[in-house]
Amino acid sequence: MKLLVVEDEALLRHHLHTRLTEAGHVVDAAADAEEALFRVKEFNHDLAIVDLGLPGMDGMELIRELRSQGHTFPVLILTARGNWQHKVEGLAAGADDYVVKPFQFEELEARLNALLRRSSGFVQSTIEADILSLDLNRKQASIEGEMLQLTAYEYRILEYLMRNHQQVIAKERLMEQLYPNDEERDANVIEVLVGRLRRKLEAGSGFKPIETVRGQGYIFNEPCR
Amino acid sequence: MSKGNNKSFSLRARLMLGATVMVFVFLLGLYPALQQIFTRALEQAVEQRLASDASALISAAQVVDGRLQMPAKLPDEEFPVLPARQLGFIYDSQGQLVWRSRSAAEHQVDYQPRYDGKGHEFTRAWDQQGQAFFVYDVEIDLLRGSDAAYSIITMQPVRDYRPMYKSLKRQLYIWLAGSLVFLLGFLWLGLGWGTRSLRHLGRELDEVENGQRKALSDDHPNELLRLTRSLNRLLDSERQQSQKYMHSLDDLAHSLKTPLAVLQGVGEVLARTPDNAEQASTLQTQVGRMSQQIGYQLQRASLRKSGLLRHRVRLEPVVQTLLDALNKVYHNKQVKVEQLYPGELRMPIEQGALYEMLGNLLENAYRLCLGHIRISAGNNKGFCELLIEDDGPGVPVSQRERILQRGARLDTQNPGQGIGTAVVKDIIESYDGQLLIEESELGGAKFRVLLPLN
Repeated sequence: MKLLVVEDEALLRHHLHTRLTEAGHVVDAAADAEEALFRVKEFNHDLAIVDLGLPGMDGMELIRELRSQGHTFPVLILTARGNWQHKVEGLAAGADDYVVKPFQFEELEARLNALLRRSSGFVQSTIEADILSLDLNRKQASIEGEMLQLTAYEYRILEYLMRNHQQVIAKERLMEQLYPNDEERDANVIEVLVGRLRRKLEAGSGFKPIETVRGQGYIFNEPCR
Repeated sequence: MSKGNNKSFSLRARLMLGATVMVFVFLLGLYPALQQIFTRALEQAVEQRLASDASALISAAQVVDGRLQMPAKLPDEEFPVLPARQLGFIYDSQGQLVWRSRSAAEHQVDYQPRYDGKGHEFTRAWDQQGQAFFVYDVEIDLLRGSDAAYSIITMQPVRDYRPMYKSLKRQLYIWLAGSLVFLLGFLWLGLGWGTRSLRHLGRELDEVENGQRKALSDDHPNELLRLTRSLNRLLDSERQQSQKYMHSLDDLAHSLKTPLAVLQGVGEVLARTPDNAEQASTLQTQVGRMSQQIGYQLQRASLRKSGLLRHRVRLEPVVQTLLDALNKVYHNKQVKVEQLYPGELRMPIEQGALYEMLGNLLENAYRLCLGHIRISAGNNKGFCELLIEDDGPGVPVSQRERILQRGARLDTQNPGQGIGTAVVKDIIESYDGQLLIEESELGGAKFRVLLPLN
C-alpha cells in the first residue's frame, strides 16, 4: 500500500519510513503540510499518517484541506496530546483514527491495517476470491490451502488488484504501489511481474483471475470478499 | 445552617423586611402624636360648644336691683339651647350657687368656681358617681361692678363624646392600616424595579456560565457598570490565561512526547538484535513509564477548574460528538448505544473536563463491550448522576479499588495509556464528586459518577 507520512521530527519520520517499508508498504514521507499537499496532488495514496503538531499549517488544517480537496483515503492521526477535545476535533476534521505518542509500532501497524481493510471494504484480515485466499497480516497467498511462493512485489500487485477487484487499474497506479516516488520507473517491469504472478496463480489449478484491458491496465475479475 | 438561611433571603426580601420594620417603628412613634392632636381638636370643639351654651345663659340672665334674675322659662325649655344632658350653673363672686338648670338638679358635680376675674377656663370635673364632665367656666360682670359679677358654668358628660371619639379613633386606625398596606405595596414594587437590574445581571451571568454569551453586556445602571466591566476584564483575562496555558501544555506535550516516540522507535530497533534485548527492554519500559507520567500530569494540569464561574454544560452535544468520534474509531464493532437522559440536562462541570471524563469512560466501554452501551443521567437529591454501563466482562470487586488508582491498568492487551480512569477520578474529585464502580444489569461494568449541583 502507498502511504503518506507527515511528521516534522526527522528521526521519527525516518523510523516510520523504515518500519513501514519493512512492513511491505511504499512510503512517501513529508516534513510539513505544504509538502504533503504537493505529494497528494502528484500521487495516489491509500492512507496518510499525519502528526497534529506540524510547524506552520498544523495537522488539523492539513486534514481539513485534504478532505476539502476531495481525498477520501483514510487518515491516521499521531498526537502528542491525549486529551479528548483534541482527538474529537481531529476525527471531526476528517481523520479516521488516532494514535497517541509515544506508540509501539505494532499498535500503529494494527490500526493502520484495520483502516486499510475498512477502506477497501474488507473488515476481515483475509480476502477470498473463489479458490484464492490472501492473508493480509502474514502477507501470504494460498490456493485451495496450498501456499503460493510470491515475491514481495508480486504479493503487493496481487493485494492491490484484489483490494480494487473488478476495477481497471492503470500500470502507472501499480508502479506507484511498488516504487517510492523518486525512483525511476519502467512500465515493462510491471508487465514482467504480472506475467510471473499469473503463471504462479495458474500453476496446478488453472485459476486465471487477472485480465489485461488493452491500453488501460489490468483487472482482477473475480469477486472478492 | 445559618449560611443556608442567609442565602435564601433575597436582597429584595431583606430590603423589604428592613423597610417594613422602619415603617412600623415610624408609625408607632407617630401614633401617640396623632392621637394627641386628634384629642386636642375634639376638646376644642367641646369647649366651643360649651362656650356657646354659656353665651345663651348670659344672654338670658338679667340683674334687677343688684340681684340675678333668670327667666322662669329658660331658652332651653322653649328652644333646644341646652340639650338635656348639658348642665348649666351660675355662681356669684363669693362662690354661692345662685342658679342652676333643671338638668343639673340630678347631678352633684364636684366643682367650685373661684371668681378671680381671669375670664374663662376649660377643665374637667367629676360627680359623686365618678362620671367625668367637661366644664366651661366664664366670669362675667353684668353691670360693670363687683355686685353683679357671676361665674357662668356649662358642663357636659365626657361619655357623650366617647362613641364619637371611638369611631374617629377606629377611622384613624383604618386609615393608618390602609396607608401602611399601600406604602408596603409600593415599596415592594419599587424594590422590584430597583433590583431588576441585579436580576438582569444574574441572568447574564447564567448565560455566561451556560456558554451562551462570552461577556456581560453594558446594559446595566451606572452603579453596576464598574462591577460588570471589572468582571468582564477578569473573565477575559482568565480566558486568555487559560488559552495561553493550554498552548504551553500543547507545546510541552509535543516537545516531550515526540522525542519519547523516537526513543520508543530506537528501543524497537535495538530489540531486534538479541544481544541488545535486555537494554532495549529497559529502555522501552522507562519510556513507557515516562510517557504515562507525562500524559497523566499533562491531563491533570489541563483540567484546572475555573475559579470565577460555575459551569453548566449540556450533556447531549458532548455525548453526541464523542459517540461520532468513537463510532468512527470502533467502526467494525457496530456498538448499540442507549441514551436515557433529558435532552436539556446540564452537567455542573467545565466543558473540557466533561469531554475528558466522558471520553475516557465511553472509550473504556467501547473497548470492552460486546456491543451494547447505556448512558443515563439525571439530577437527584442535590447531585447530578451519570451512569455509563456496558455488556463487557465487568470489573471484579477485588480490582475495583485498584482500577481507580493512578496509572492502574487491568487490561494490558488493549490500547490506551492506563491513566483514563485515574484521570476521570481526579476530575470528579476536583468537583467534590464521587466515582463508583458497580455491576450493570447489562452484564458488564457500571461507572456511576455523582457531581454535586451546588
